[in-house]
Amino acid sequence: MELEALQSALPDIQHFGANLVAITPELEKYGRSVHRRLNLGFDVLTDRGLQVASQFALVFVLPDYLKTLYLSFGTKLDEFNGEDAFRLPMPARYIVDQHRVIRSADVSPDYTIRPEPSETLRALQELAAAPGKPASH
Amino acid sequence: MTLQQKLDDFKAKFESGAPPFNTPKASIELMHRATSELRQSGLAERALKSGGHAPAFTLNNQDGNAISSVELLAKGPLVITFFRGHW
Repeated sequence: MELEALQSALPDIQHFGANLVAITPELEKYGRSVHRRLNLGFDVLTDRGLQVASQFALVFVLPDYLKTLYLSFGTKLDEFNGEDAFRLPMPARYIVDQHRVIRSADVSPDYTIRPEPSETLRALQELAAAPGKPASH
Repeated sequence: MTLQQKLDDFKAKFESGAPPFNTPKASIELMHRATSELRQSGLAERALKSGGHAPAFTLNNQDGNAISSVELLAKGPLVITFFRGHW
């Protein structure tokens, strides 16, 4: 749902001269299927072994009871992610400026809560207006 | 409808116990427990924040092509969204 909402906002994101990428721990074939199904105009990148998510300090290990529950739903993270560790990134949205400084960070321990694309557009607008100054939040 | 409204609608349906999901109450309680534990762990507060330095990365895209954050940032700001998967 978030990817679809970001797809709708993609022209506005690009209007600010920005690019958008989505990062998932899933193997490429699953990234490809999401990309096709949602007809995305931005790249879905495979973060094998959650290396990049680890660098952003987003990774958690599923407790055993949740692992069992997910498997009962058919959510086979070991197959999807190509590792046995049952790890996931917390959902997060970042804006990085051209000096590699993070200008906006939204990390949620609750995967059912996500920021609106309009908030991201507002932060991009602030960045375009004041490229040298950190955003207000 | 905002993204959060859509997410809230889906969550309400998923947790209602009604078709098509028919999610058992015990499963919902386990998911709530997991979210609550993750929240209490404070992990989200330790993630990279605004003002920090973003790590550079090169990852394969859906077509198997290597995509470099450094190359993208040469063109403009970069929005990065981390998501769990296709499921």
